[in-house]
Amino acid sequence: MRSIALVLLPFLAANLFLSPCQSLRFDLKSGHTKCISEEIKSNSMSVGKYSVLNPQEGQPMPESHKITVRVTSSYGNNYHFTDHVESGQFAFTAAEQGDYMACFWAIDHRPEVTVTIEFDWRTGITAKDWPSVAKKGSVDLMELELKKLEDTITYIHDEMFYLREREDEMQELNRSTNSRMAWMSLLSLVVCLSVAGLQLWHLKTFFEKKKII
Amino acid sequence: MWIDRRCLDVALVVSLVLTSSSFITRTSSLSVTVNEVECVYEYVLYEADTVSGNYVVVDHDIFWGSDHPGIDFTVTSPSGNNVHTKKGTSGDKFEFKAPRSGMYKFCFHNPYSTPETVSFYIHVGHIPNEHDLAKDEHLDPINVKIAELREALESVTAEQKYLKARDARHRHTNESTRKRVIYYTLAEYLLLACASGLQVVYIRRLFSKSFGYNRV
Repeated sequence: MRSIALVLLPFLAANLFLSPCQSLRFDLKSGHTKCISEEIKSNSMSVGKYSVLNPQEGQPMPESHKITVRVTSSYGNNYHFTDHVESGQFAFTAAEQGDYMACFWAIDHRPEVTVTIEFDWRTGITAKDWPSVAKKGSVDLMELELKKLEDTITYIHDEMFYLREREDEMQELNRSTNSRMAWMSLLSLVVCLSVAGLQLWHLKTFFEKKKII
Repeated sequence: MWIDRRCLDVALVVSLVLTSSSFITRTSSLSVTVNEVECVYEYVLYEADTVSGNYVVVDHDIFWGSDHPGIDFTVTSPSGNNVHTKKGTSGDKFEFKAPRSGMYKFCFHNPYSTPETVSFYIHVGHIPNEHDLAKDEHLDPINVKIAELREALESVTAEQKYLKARDARHRHTNESTRKRVIYYTLAEYLLLACASGLQVVYIRRLFSKSFGYNRV
């Protein structure tokens, strides 16, 4: 028994080391909706896990604490939908870049209860399945940690490029707005003068026709 | 945080021999729409962990008038004390040392009736100290250095997310400015033409035969 425990322990230790359990928790009133959105780049992996906290330990989940979950992209495509569940998970590769929204509905119930939901949503490098990488390559823990750091640095580098691109686009936008404003102000002057000129000309011919001038 | 059953068992077994490492993943930057009060909970595993993060109010609609009170942000410790407060801003960074472990509550309060979208990022970082090193012989001093490195990288990532959210808001403002410039200018032209047309019509009517021009 003891030897088994000793053998198991490093494994368990590795598990805790590599797959910590931490997620976001929020409350939802019956009949209400809460949506959490996140911007995901195209072709990046996204993994989500959600569960409702059981208000009474040891007893089955009451009907009032079931939720409906829907994950949609910013273009309206449905990536995940479950109805009347107490927990679940989803994983998808984002086909389009944009804001993805995970919406939670709590079943309408009288009296109103507050449902507490645990939600863990990882995208990109945090969605990578490190324990399987460790098992596949049979690398030691230190090396795995350093690999993770390397991945983080690559991610930071990519983000920098993305930010730089966005800044470039913004500069272009501002410059074009600037020049457009300049042209439009000039045009407004031209419009003003031409309208005044038209008025004068029209009234002159009108009065000449009426033989007043 | 709620540690699910399985994780709790593992943690109990392992903590007898090995303190859990400093590796704690991050939720990426998420956005939430704040109607009145919106709270999220995050679990801090160790006392004296550094909790850091940032938030940016993204959905400014068009713009906030100078009298808009902004969004209030409060962090409450598990014992009910207010650990961090920032009132009336449109975004901020924060960092504090957790006085104790437990479930911390991060709340956004929107005093106005229009819902605002807040993009936030929270990170709980732990660096094993000498106490942890002494308790467990599997932890090398190198683990401390790796943890410090990881925390430094996390702070860079947090800064990037903050910049990204602010850039998104800036972009939103710029695009709305551009649209408004075009529409208001076109409306101005139309109004000018209409006003001048009305003037001409009025003068014509004044001089028309039915009035008799000697009345003018």
